[in-house]
Amino acid sequence: MTQAIELQSVTRRFRNDNALEDVTLAVPDGAICGLLGRNGAGKTTVMSLISGQDRPTTGRVLVDGDDPFENEAVLSSISFVRDNQRYPDDYFLHHVLSIAPAFAPHWDGELAAELVEGFRLPRKPAIRKFSRGQLSAVAIVLGLASRAPVTLLDEPYLGLDATARGLFHDLLLRDLGRHPRTLLLSTHLIDESDSLFDHVVLMDRGRVVLRAEAEEARRVAMCVSGVADAVQAFCADYPVLRSHSIGGLRTSTVTGRLDDDARSRAATLGVQLKGASLQDLAVAYGSGDSLQDSSKEGISA
Amino acid sequence: MNGIQAATRLHLTKKNMTFGVPVQIVGLVAVISALIALIIWRAGGTPGSAEWITGARSNGGMAFGLLGFLVYLGVQSIATTFPFALTLGSTRKAFVGGTLVWAAVTSAYLAVIYAVLLLVELATDHWFASVYIFDVYYLGTGDLLILLPTVFLGSLSALTIGALFGASWARFGNRGPVFLGAGLAIGLLGLLALVLPSITGSVLDGFRLWWLAVAAVVIIAVSAVMTLLLLRSAVVR
Amino acid sequence: MFTGDNPIYQQLAARIADDIVAGTYAEDAAVPSSNDFATFLHMNPATAGKALNVLVEQGVLYKKRGVGMFVAPGARSQLLKQRRADFPQQFVHPLIREARAVGIEPPELAQMIKEEYIP
Repeated sequence: MTQAIELQSVTRRFRNDNALEDVTLAVPDGAICGLLGRNGAGKTTVMSLISGQDRPTTGRVLVDGDDPFENEAVLSSISFVRDNQRYPDDYFLHHVLSIAPAFAPHWDGELAAELVEGFRLPRKPAIRKFSRGQLSAVAIVLGLASRAPVTLLDEPYLGLDATARGLFHDLLLRDLGRHPRTLLLSTHLIDESDSLFDHVVLMDRGRVVLRAEAEEARRVAMCVSGVADAVQAFCADYPVLRSHSIGGLRTSTVTGRLDDDARSRAATLGVQLKGASLQDLAVAYGSGDSLQDSSKEGISA
Repeated sequence: MNGIQAATRLHLTKKNMTFGVPVQIVGLVAVISALIALIIWRAGGTPGSAEWITGARSNGGMAFGLLGFLVYLGVQSIATTFPFALTLGSTRKAFVGGTLVWAAVTSAYLAVIYAVLLLVELATDHWFASVYIFDVYYLGTGDLLILLPTVFLGSLSALTIGALFGASWARFGNRGPVFLGAGLAIGLLGLLALVLPSITGSVLDGFRLWWLAVAAVVIIAVSAVMTLLLLRSAVVR
Repeated sequence: MFTGDNPIYQQLAARIADDIVAGTYAEDAAVPSSNDFATFLHMNPATAGKALNVLVEQGVLYKKRGVGMFVAPGARSQLLKQRRADFPQQFVHPLIREARAVGIEPPELAQMIKEEYIP
């Protein structure tokens, strides 16, 4: 399978901080890839680099095998609206809708109109005065109606109500079915989008901590909970990513397959066991205490 | 559509900003000029007298009234539009090219507006009331061939200098315009210090208007190149 | 919608199989496409496709090129046979385990089943 997006040992330093540290990842052609992690994990920076809005300090970024920076052909095949996108002064929705087709060769005006109506985006106030949810909706309109072969959606759920999230999923999947493309979707609200992904990349503090096919990722870890002593006994054999105690109760997320061995061990010790969801994994990697743990080194399934 | 065309269209989406607001400002300045003429007349001036005409033709309102707005327009053409242009998928090069084309279109539009209004002014014997708005010294004293390049190059200079300040902000944040302004001021003073001693009466006598035109073209070219260089390394965060 | 215990494609395949057994999809009738399932269930289209392919491999569905997927003749009885075969593992074993744990002897258990079975 050819790779639509590749980052090879990419480091991005800004004046005071390292936004990305030795990031390597690949998104296959036609994949729906989740870019997961807490706020500040480096998700937007990754997308910025892919779309040529930014350049790596070291390392290589490739889109369809080419460097996207100042590359007109590649850039016209990418759609990326950042979560804190700025629009020109005094811009209204109709300005956005009238100019976007000039840059997006595959633009679908009907889909754009359907999305605008579904999200109930107002024509009147300037975009500067839009609410968080309305800004997310504008970004979704641009992202989906562009039909860009490489589509990057940056935190599309911010501020969207449940109806709007449902509409987003409906139209996203309907349109992907008709016009397949490569999709990279960043979010820190993972349960919402879990079943959309076939690939996931999990980031924490500028590093990739997990990249895998989604089915694999859902099986790299498990959550064990119960009386603290029993949970600790269970954890003796597994690398612990994160533990959380309240009173005498304890929940731990550990790497390891949820297999018959694990099940019978859990039954013997009297602890509850379940497979770790992507959300559980993200929480485990994103919590500070696992940093000191040697198992913090990235896992690759 | 090629990239420069698309970037030009991006600026032209806000038609009112490019084509409407400048005309409104021109109208406002014209009204103020007429009011000033009225005041001078009420104060005892004689419309049509040689003294009146000399005074009225020194009216710089129309020559400088738009400058502030044009510089602002130039600043926003980069500062708030650059991030959106990149989001749409423009290259930095095409964006600067499109911005330059848009600035030229805007300047040409203004030159034509000025020219038409000058012709009306001349045809109506200065609005039937000896009100000199476009037939002024700064704009060539009624000479269309001077007014057209003056307005075009003047507007384009204001827009590209504004764009340069916008680019310095996009590249360096708040420090950008401060350092650029300071740098330009120091450079200008240095140039004056170098050149002033050698300006003698004979040089001044030899002064030709086209010197200014050449200076404007140089300013426009240098601003555009510096804008591109600044944006080449600007990132959106 | 999906639980964390089994891969999503297996859960969807099982759900479609259940629907065939229940008669929702008759033999030789079309089942929804992978894109339909993806849109309806808000899931990954490739994963939905994988579920359908698993059923094709088992002979439960068959493909018509360019038309879609259909329930194979005999699929229902095949699936019923499979479910019967799985019955002890899936249902009887847990039942016995729990009966042992709470001390229900086989005659008592048999009696309970009889009473439940004949309403």
